[in-house]
Amino acid sequence: MEFAELIRTGQAQAELLRGPEEPPLRGTLCITGHHLMLSPGPQATPDLWLLLLRNVDSIEKRVAGDSGTITLRCKDLRVLQLDIEGVEATLDIARSIEALSSLESVITSFPFFYRPKGLRLGDAWHFHPPECYYKRVARETNAWRLSEANEDFSLCPSYPRAVIVPRAVDDSALARSARFRQGGRFPVLSYYHAPSGTVLLRAGQPLTGPQKRRCSEDEDLLRAVLAGARPGARGFIVDTRSPQAAKQARMTGGGTEAKAAYPGWKRLHRPLETGRPLQESFVRLVEACGDLEQSMDRWLNRLESCRWLSHVKETLSTACLAAQSMEQEGACVLVHGAEGTDSTLLITSLAQLILDPLSRTMAGFQELIEREWIQAGHPFQLRCAHSAFSHARPKHEAPTFLLFLDCVWQLGRQFPLSLEFGEGMLLALFDHAYASPFGTFLCNNEKERCLCEVRTRTHSLWSGLSQPKEQRKLRNPLYVPNPLAIWPSAEPQSLRLWQGDPPPPPWRSSRLCSASLPVLFLLRPVSARDPST
Amino acid sequence: MASAPTSKYNSHSLENESIKRTSRDGVNRDVGEPLPRLPGEIRITDKEVIYICPFNGPIKGRVYITNYRLYLRSLETPIFAFLNEEKFNVDGWTVYNPVEEYRRQGLPNHHWRITFINKCYKLCDTYPALLVVPYRASDEDLRRVATFRSRNRIPVLSWIHPENKTVIVRCSQPLVGMSGKRNKEDERYLDVIRETNRQVNKLTIYDARPNVNAVANKATGGGYESDDVYHNAELFFLDIHNIHVMRESLKKVKDIVYPNVEESHWLSSLESTHWLEHIKLVLTGAIQVADKVSSGKSSVVVHCSDGWDRTAQLTSLAMLMLDSFYRSIEGFEILVQKEWISFGHKFASRIGHGDKNHADADRSPIFLQFIDCVWQMSKQFPTAFEFNERFLITILDHLYSCRFGTFLYNCESAREKQKVTERTVSLWSLINSNKDKFKNPFYTKEINRVLYPVASMRHLELWVNYYIRWNPRIKQQQPNPVEQRYMELLALRDEYIKRLDELQLANSAKLSDPSASPSSPSQMMPHVQTHF
Repeated sequence: MEFAELIRTGQAQAELLRGPEEPPLRGTLCITGHHLMLSPGPQATPDLWLLLLRNVDSIEKRVAGDSGTITLRCKDLRVLQLDIEGVEATLDIARSIEALSSLESVITSFPFFYRPKGLRLGDAWHFHPPECYYKRVARETNAWRLSEANEDFSLCPSYPRAVIVPRAVDDSALARSARFRQGGRFPVLSYYHAPSGTVLLRAGQPLTGPQKRRCSEDEDLLRAVLAGARPGARGFIVDTRSPQAAKQARMTGGGTEAKAAYPGWKRLHRPLETGRPLQESFVRLVEACGDLEQSMDRWLNRLESCRWLSHVKETLSTACLAAQSMEQEGACVLVHGAEGTDSTLLITSLAQLILDPLSRTMAGFQELIEREWIQAGHPFQLRCAHSAFSHARPKHEAPTFLLFLDCVWQLGRQFPLSLEFGEGMLLALFDHAYASPFGTFLCNNEKERCLCEVRTRTHSLWSGLSQPKEQRKLRNPLYVPNPLAIWPSAEPQSLRLWQGDPPPPPWRSSRLCSASLPVLFLLRPVSARDPST
Repeated sequence: MASAPTSKYNSHSLENESIKRTSRDGVNRDVGEPLPRLPGEIRITDKEVIYICPFNGPIKGRVYITNYRLYLRSLETPIFAFLNEEKFNVDGWTVYNPVEEYRRQGLPNHHWRITFINKCYKLCDTYPALLVVPYRASDEDLRRVATFRSRNRIPVLSWIHPENKTVIVRCSQPLVGMSGKRNKEDERYLDVIRETNRQVNKLTIYDARPNVNAVANKATGGGYESDDVYHNAELFFLDIHNIHVMRESLKKVKDIVYPNVEESHWLSSLESTHWLEHIKLVLTGAIQVADKVSSGKSSVVVHCSDGWDRTAQLTSLAMLMLDSFYRSIEGFEILVQKEWISFGHKFASRIGHGDKNHADADRSPIFLQFIDCVWQMSKQFPTAFEFNERFLITILDHLYSCRFGTFLYNCESAREKQKVTERTVSLWSLINSNKDKFKNPFYTKEINRVLYPVASMRHLELWVNYYIRWNPRIKQQQPNPVEQRYMELLALRDEYIKRLDELQLANSAKLSDPSASPSSPSQMMPHVQTHF
């Protein structure tokens, strides 16, 4: 396929409004296969303004007289306004953007063409494979082994090639257990908590079905986990669905672990919403934040009715529960929901941040994201296909990863010295998860990444972020290593709406503040015409 | 809670006739005095306890249990300030000297004079002895104006802009009444104030009340300056509600945080208290005053009904926005001392020091609301204030504690009569003798920067560290780890500069030519600005 077929115009004169703080930009607008470009005239700054077309979430066009206006709402929540000369040009540009921003093919996406100076292909791709983590675990305990049973992704398409499993369980037993778990996601080690000798595991739901089937290999596997921890160790299964939902899942072939089949394991239900309700909550929140006209007297009510903060609260308190079970009760914890690729990963990764000082370092956090999100098979491609502005009917979109970043931000707010990375890192991860020149967040799992040769043909975000000039923006200057667990407060009074950068001080402006009201929650300034300019 | 946060009595009994009224100053109060009892009431037991009041912290006391009631008597007498023998190496009473403060503002000048007409509090018993009035208004004029202003609180200067010389003037409502009375002297007096500033030809009057309340006040003899009488003035209403509304609002805040913190619908319950909305209105009003003076180049007159609650909030907040001096520790003390204490905010009535009637309609958290507004500002401008959160909380704690004389009594005349400055210790003595504890490490001194906080519901927060500080579940790290870390880093920086200094000195000593030695490195280094 040729991009040229989709590009319907050469160039046009346009003015770009990026928000109240930034001056408008005039120049020549043109479209390439992956970018929208604005090249300012000779009198202005020589910088070229670029927007990755993949970042466009929704587009709105208006024509009046002999000019037109295009409003682009981006996946990173920026809102941009383009005033374009010529009706025909406006319509052509809008159509081109529409066509190019919704291309679904992975291998024609920009990361496969992005060749920045100073980076070598394949540099950081072997940065954080599970093997590295296994080395850490093996230093502490002998009860676990690295299995390559999934070498060809035949056991579980959403797991990486190598996973960490109890030493006492052989590969054929893993294969049986995989058949008993949704998506083949048999229980694997997610985190080993050395001080208590307990482990955190994750899996998909067991496929008990209406007949309450059992699988002795799966039961053996979990028994081996307890035996490997210490004699008499207990286990908790944190099911991220309500008891009713778990029971209902049996009708469609899923289910949950029967008490009698897994001695020593106790099931706890902590319902967390995923999928559609979470996406809707996100959309409502962004809508509320962007709605500057609405009466401010009802702001808190509206914020509450978005339910975003209650998702943050539930997630954090469930992560605390998992971490507490390990650290304070000395119990092993298995987390799963239905597929085990969304809320499960939220809980396992947050529990590690709470417990593990290493995961709070810059390198450790990147390793955590790579291991617990990317390699663990969070379907980024599906979940981040659209952000909050899209008018398309949501199919698989859900801001699970954003919810994770928000929870990390809350941790950072409550423990301002304990994270080596700052808000800049979280914002960068959010941006790149939705649209990125790097290949890190491409595809839904390792299997797909292998098929697309992502590792050899694109650059890794981690090498992009390791550039010294990036690092300055990402680090928390106040960081002091904290060897302790950090227990966040998940009370509603302790949680804040993530506002993004602090409001720019409106000083030296004689206008009253309402005119320069900064927008909330990662919201880059809304590009409405500033009445005073 | 708001109504009598300080009440040292927790008696829920009805007013008991036989209880002799405790003397207000509490000096002669005997702690060992027997518990006043009703006929037939028998003491069963008593025990020393610490009562943890959610808003004031622990109060040591003795709880008496009779066959009729529980009765908590504080071990501190109601007004402990008079017994307090604490010694500090700084005398906080000297912090505020009105003459010096007016001189700092550049007063008197050829438009404004300092008058001692109120020296014996004859003109207005709730005003300070020393007032700044227009140069062209005679003492006789002032007396005539006083008859037309509620409680004789005539328009006087609070603050003058150092450059454009516009002023903030405060007063109480005019006594217009139902019949629409007029007073020629008052009209001329406001015109004289207007004429001190020739940049605009209107004087702006801010009435803090909602329009309807101002109209309703006519029924009780009050009112507002109508356009057809005060031709050269523009009147705006700022819609801030009265003390009763504020008290009820804070009571609702208490209900959602104590004894149990509301969880399931936290944000909507918080919104339904309207507390943040009131904060927003007060801040918005103050921003308008500050903006009018600074950008609008117009002098403003601020009043509410009596001019000691909302007026004090508005003038002091506007001054805080306009004048960076008030954002220092001592400057803020002067601001409180001047706009609140000396101008007769009725602390005794609003707080009810040593008064057991906590349902009194006079109680209201007006000063607390002001401090909350200051906290909101300090959140939005983390580098603009020399003081930290602890400073504000300490002020509030001692607003209720009666350990210091600073907030006792309703006005200067009463304080003078009780010789408060001689017989009690000032809160500022405590603070100024240990200033480091109250300093904001992020403070960067800036002159002439006007602060315009964003008074939008999206940017106002409940002051959790104050209102819910007693709740162990709302964890917070104290002292603030960021502040601490920042101070460590500053100390480290100083150490490195010192070491660099020494090294360079040692190096230059080695050089044969001593005259060529470089100047001290700390002088050579540009001032290191450490921003976040």
